Amino acid sequence: MATPILQVKDLQTQFTTHDGVVRAVDGVSFDLYPGESLGIVGESGSGKSVTALSLLRLVPNPGRIVGGQVLFRNDDLLQLSDEEMREIRGRDIAMIFQDPQSSLNPVLRTGFQIAEAMLAHQRSTRSQALRRAVELLRRVRIPAAESRAKDYPHQLSGGMRQRAMIAMGLANAPAIVVADEPTTALDVTVQAQILELLADLNHELGAAVVMITHNMGVVAGLCTRVLVMYAGQIVEQGPVEQIFEDPQHPYTWSLLKSIPRVDAVRHERLRSIEGIAPDLLRPPRGCRFHPRCPFRVEKCFSDDPHLIEVKPDQRAACWVTMDRARAEMGADDLLDIRPGSASGVQAGRLVE
Amino acid sequence: MFTRGTLIYIVQRLVLITLAVLGVSSLVFLGIHRLPGDALFSEHLRGTQYELTLHHYGLDRPLWQQYLTFLGNMFHGDLGESLVNRGVPITPIVLREMSVSAEVGLVALIFTIGLGMSFGVIAALRQNTWLDYLLSTTSVIGYSMPNFVIATFLILVFGVWLENITHGNFYFEIGWPGRYGSIGAIWLPAFALGFPSASIVARMTRASMLEVLQQDFIRTARAKGLAPATITIRHALRNALIPVITVLGPLAMAIITGGVVVENIFGIPGLGKEFATSILNRDYNVVIGVFTGYAALVGLTNLGVDLLYVVIDPRIRY
Repeated sequence: MATPILQVKDLQTQFTTHDGVVRAVDGVSFDLYPGESLGIVGESGSGKSVTALSLLRLVPNPGRIVGGQVLFRNDDLLQLSDEEMREIRGRDIAMIFQDPQSSLNPVLRTGFQIAEAMLAHQRSTRSQALRRAVELLRRVRIPAAESRAKDYPHQLSGGMRQRAMIAMGLANAPAIVVADEPTTALDVTVQAQILELLADLNHELGAAVVMITHNMGVVAGLCTRVLVMYAGQIVEQGPVEQIFEDPQHPYTWSLLKSIPRVDAVRHERLRSIEGIAPDLLRPPRGCRFHPRCPFRVEKCFSDDPHLIEVKPDQRAACWVTMDRARAEMGADDLLDIRPGSASGVQAGRLVE
Repeated sequence: MFTRGTLIYIVQRLVLITLAVLGVSSLVFLGIHRLPGDALFSEHLRGTQYELTLHHYGLDRPLWQQYLTFLGNMFHGDLGESLVNRGVPITPIVLREMSVSAEVGLVALIFTIGLGMSFGVIAALRQNTWLDYLLSTTSVIGYSMPNFVIATFLILVFGVWLENITHGNFYFEIGWPGRYGSIGAIWLPAFALGFPSASIVARMTRASMLEVLQQDFIRTARAKGLAPATITIRHALRNALIPVITVLGPLAMAIITGGVVVENIFGIPGLGKEFATSILNRDYNVVIGVFTGYAALVGLTNLGVDLLYVVIDPRIRY
């Protein structure tokens, strides 16, 4: 593959609260290649959104990026001055947010909000930019784009607002588009349209897309590679098809088991992941997933696993991995996947 | 921004304002005639001369007849003559005094909005720094102090302590025609009037800005790579002003009514000064005229503030 366009190395983002330090992103590293579509999945609070915001240095207070590198075209974005960073935002790396209802300014016309993104980075007149904004709205398939550009956000439907957000992101033909759960606030039918649109734009414009989502279906439909995040760390990464077919981390495995499938055997029960996501103020010692893991062994309680190559291109951070869980613990025939059920370690024991 | 609907709305409001003004002047007409004493009583007129003068002004007729005459004249914009300064028609006087009061009030409003907004924005952007604390403390002092205290204090400072510099330029001579040559003459009374309201606007703007700066669309604006000044003014301030306008109506009222006190302290020959003098003199027609003027001013100001909503927030349509 070509050289990565964006390299994230050991990114650390923390929130200092009254109760202590929350390590929302704890040592995340990944590469993004030109034109590819990378998914980042995880539950709420897994740090996927904060990772996305960290790339553009838009982490809200009291969050701070305390370590790591974000290399873009040989520059470490974390070392740039505010002014230099401002020029990167929207021009080279654009972001599409969830909930277009609140992400668009209610008192400015839609077309102007798109034109504004161009005026911030290009030398053009206001009327030129507004004309280009109409073109962009047409490109994201908004009907009657000319009159819609003159509308305020509250006059648009949810789907149209998200299309306008996408048009805004594409305004300067960026090299990277970071989409933070762009379909969360939308109807299912509209979700599909938006994903299709993003996929088309990814192919047409050749922009690399980073797709932040909690929805495995979105990843399957749009992405070529996927990172699975849990409690601020990447637990597994690899090509989408490979991960879906043969997940090696128990968390990815349980996540995929918890999705209803049309082709599944009838009467097969859906498995939820027992327990709740850990409190990042006091993350569990050892592997962060061990309190919820059916396959944990004693080592999981004390030692933090690192990402290692488990298959070609596929890396997982786990002491057991699913291959071993299948061989030794009969993972696929397991009916009870409550924490520790298949392991030799009894629930409650060894846990402080 | 303004549609045909807005125009219809304005016309409706103007009709309502006219009715309200009429209602107020009728109430005042009835009220002032119930007060003991009258304008002529104080002039040491006795006997037939007193009776004749009463008859001349129609004051000997039953009250309902007087009221009907008054209403009839009102429709022609004629408020009658002054009883104290005999023969002087009131309408031009009230209009002139109204323009004087409006001028002071307008400058006070500029103080309110300009000073209040900039204090609020700066405090919000420098939240929890010494600048924020300084501005917030000033605001608390500002709206804790009644305007007459500020007015008296300003006179003490600029009229007494700094007399050598100011030469008393903000005192107004008796019989002063009521035309302001320069802004220099009214900025002190306008400041006394506007400062308490400016403080309230500052606190509102600060709170509102802090809230808006947390909104998602501010993050969007930053992600677009907009300059910080553009984000603050175009994206944050415009949204932050929506709740501030809500208090602008009552504050404009406070400025108009506060004028009664402040104009008397600074000796400004505006509506506020006439308000007090005319009641003391039982100058019936002038009292009614002054109240009518006030009612119109209040009504029109409220209409103006309501129309501001449409300018600032596109989601509001009348």
